[in-house]
Amino acid sequence: MRTPRSLAVVLIAVPAWLLTPLHNQIEHERQQFQYGGAPVTRELRDQIGQGMAIALLAGFRGVAADFIWIRAHDHWEKREWLLQAESIENAAKLQPRSTFFWDSGSWHMGWNIARAERIGTNDITIAQGLIRERYWHQRARSFLERGIANIPNRFDLYFKLGWLYDQKLARGCGGDPECVKLQNTKAAELFIRASEYPTAPTYVARDAARSLEKAGDLPAAYDFWVNKIWRDDRRIRTAADRTIVEREIRRLEERLDIPAPSRVFPKTSAS
Amino acid sequence: MDAIRTENLTKKYNLGWRKGRFLALEKLNLRIPEGEVYGLLGPNGSGKSTTLKCILDLITPTEGAAWIFGVPATKVESRLHVGFLPENPYFYRYLTGGETLEFYGQLCGIRGAALHRRIEELIELVGLAKARDRRLAGYSKGMLQRIGLAQALIHDPRLLLLDEPTAGVDPIGSRDIRDLILRLKQMGKTVLLSSHLLAQVQDVCDRIGVLNLGQMILEGDVDQLISDQRRLSFTVEGLPAGGRGQIEQAAQAAGAKVVGVEHPQTTLETLFLDAVRQDKRGAGEHD
Amino acid sequence: MTERVGFSVARVGTIAANTFTESLRQKVFNILLIFALVVIASASFFAEFAFEEDVAVVASYQLKSIKDTCFGALSVIGMLIAIVGTAMLLPNELENRTIYTILSKPVRRLEFLLGKYLGTVLLTFVSVVLMSVMFLAVLTFKEARLSQPAKAVVEQTESPVEKQKAQEQVAKIRAEAFDPAIVKGILLVFVKLCLLAAITLLVSTFSTSMVFNVAVALLVFFAGHLVGLAKEAWQAQPLLVYLLGIIPNLDLFNVADDIILGNFVPWAHVGKVTGYGLVYLSGVLAAAHFIFSNREI
Repeated sequence: MRTPRSLAVVLIAVPAWLLTPLHNQIEHERQQFQYGGAPVTRELRDQIGQGMAIALLAGFRGVAADFIWIRAHDHWEKREWLLQAESIENAAKLQPRSTFFWDSGSWHMGWNIARAERIGTNDITIAQGLIRERYWHQRARSFLERGIANIPNRFDLYFKLGWLYDQKLARGCGGDPECVKLQNTKAAELFIRASEYPTAPTYVARDAARSLEKAGDLPAAYDFWVNKIWRDDRRIRTAADRTIVEREIRRLEERLDIPAPSRVFPKTSAS
Repeated sequence: MDAIRTENLTKKYNLGWRKGRFLALEKLNLRIPEGEVYGLLGPNGSGKSTTLKCILDLITPTEGAAWIFGVPATKVESRLHVGFLPENPYFYRYLTGGETLEFYGQLCGIRGAALHRRIEELIELVGLAKARDRRLAGYSKGMLQRIGLAQALIHDPRLLLLDEPTAGVDPIGSRDIRDLILRLKQMGKTVLLSSHLLAQVQDVCDRIGVLNLGQMILEGDVDQLISDQRRLSFTVEGLPAGGRGQIEQAAQAAGAKVVGVEHPQTTLETLFLDAVRQDKRGAGEHD
Repeated sequence: MTERVGFSVARVGTIAANTFTESLRQKVFNILLIFALVVIASASFFAEFAFEEDVAVVASYQLKSIKDTCFGALSVIGMLIAIVGTAMLLPNELENRTIYTILSKPVRRLEFLLGKYLGTVLLTFVSVVLMSVMFLAVLTFKEARLSQPAKAVVEQTESPVEKQKAQEQVAKIRAEAFDPAIVKGILLVFVKLCLLAAITLLVSTFSTSMVFNVAVALLVFFAGHLVGLAKEAWQAQPLLVYLLGIIPNLDLFNVADDIILGNFVPWAHVGKVTGYGLVYLSGVLAAAHFIFSNREI
């Protein structure tokens, strides 16, 4: 009942022969879908530590990234901003397809750390504080831009970056109208981009219209409210959506003094 | 037809690089006709187990071949009518006696009611009725040997190979196993058993072969081999005083010579068996 | 003259069922399983902290880390069960002499080997299912807990805007907690475990020591995760890269990470990876059969 050698060779060789093309195809798809994440280079290994590197090599990328994220929190509590940022960067590097790390990480940089750097210590001047704050705003921006490069197919990070322009970068212009216009235009572009994804909530498009208004282009804002929001079923999903949009359109129609026949909501006798 | 036949069965083991080979079995020619109880004797390491393993195709002989009921041992079909009890079996510790037999029965293609009937019969035959639902981890050596015999018999094979069936078993268990072998013989089964305990095979075997260092050095009928044809012994009861002299004279007159006179001794085994049997607490299912 | 004894699926089944029962009754597996269930259950408490302000973002992170931990436990404990379970099969059979009693019956060696293998595959499958059920229970518990604040807002708020936002959060948390794509991740973990079991079986066909079997299997496990990296590093040496192809690329089975992140993993891809696993596995089993059928027992 012994197996002949030739048969054994066939039984083993055929699978081996089948495997190579299949393997290459899977690898190709993984690259195409961007599965996995950064390879474990020596530099990355030094940064995340030996233990995490081993977890990573054993196939526990997610767990390793989560632990590094917890480490980022520890640094936050010890006010070690640069180390916190490094941990955030590493978590995002391990799982670059995770919107959470980019989204939440940029929020830490652009909002929490930036604010803590400005008002957190008494031994610096206000000007120094502002400079440091701006450094973290810029860092959050570049971080989010890298995030978008990794996850271009979801609305989340466009929206977050738009929000950063709106909330931080435009407000940091110190009253320079050109700067304000520029930053709000950027914000509007990003909100519009985000709103194009079917998964985006309805408020994303409304934020786009508001940013156009903040950038000073009232006619464009009005046009957006009417044509891109009011006349688009995807933007008006609930009664709440309807109420908000109607209120904003009425306000702009007043402000731009649109002639009655052209108005979406002609003035009622009551008002 | 011979139940077992081997031709020039030779097995050499490689000992490793540059250590040469160890000759475990050399040119064994064995013929065991159907219905015979054959004892393969020899000291440890003489090639008994090697012979059994070659016959069962567990190892490949270096030279020669073996047949079971005419079918080459290398074919699965040769094992259709064979039951095997290995040396010192432990079986699956977490199965009960009943489950163990069920497993082996299913392996032999017996299922359903037929299998359960067969298990009942065998449990009864080997005397394990009380231990049937206990896990084998709690079985004694003797009980394991009995369950081993039962599994070997599960498919009612025509041939049984028993490797050291009484090794490590107490005298009562050993006696039971020998009784069982005799019953199998009465049922017309062929049995090949190996042992290094010569006394124990004496009463059950029809024929024995003695292996030493891989070679068959003696083979023949048990009765012929062990009876001393030149001598005769009498055992006499109720002999009056002086009777001994008369007998010696009579012997001399017939031209013979009395070489020894002794009180017959019971064997230690018989003594032990009688003592235990008289113990009223009963030791039927000992462990 | 005599009847033919063909390959019998029933005998394979008998041996598999016996192997499964035997393994199940050993304490090792119960302990491993209980340990896994404890880890999975406690995963919901690991990730209690978070200081993001949005309920849905907090939930997103906590659910991610729970899923990561649960998949980690599933993968590690599953690996131990598959490897240890397989590694002890043949050594135990030899030690208990049961292999002699089985192979001396009309049983083919291939039937024996396949039966043993399928027995551990069944054991692994049951373990994976049990751990998955626990995993689902944890997610259910956590989902209810995380969406609690948003649900409270839905009930209490007067503002339609607030209410809508909260409703969207509840829906988002629900969708993230019960993402059906998780099944794909679990399936591929299982295929990976089957492959590891096959490799362990192959090792045990030529060794007699359980410790050696486990050690080699663990080595293959780590090498299998490193092989992708090594191929990149040694691109310049095609011969080396070719030789590395012998080691299974276990990273391919790790789509769980990506599924947890919400990345789309098409069934076609899952099918190809499963195919890779099964083809590899059949080659390994063929090699195991070849060695085992010539082995002296």
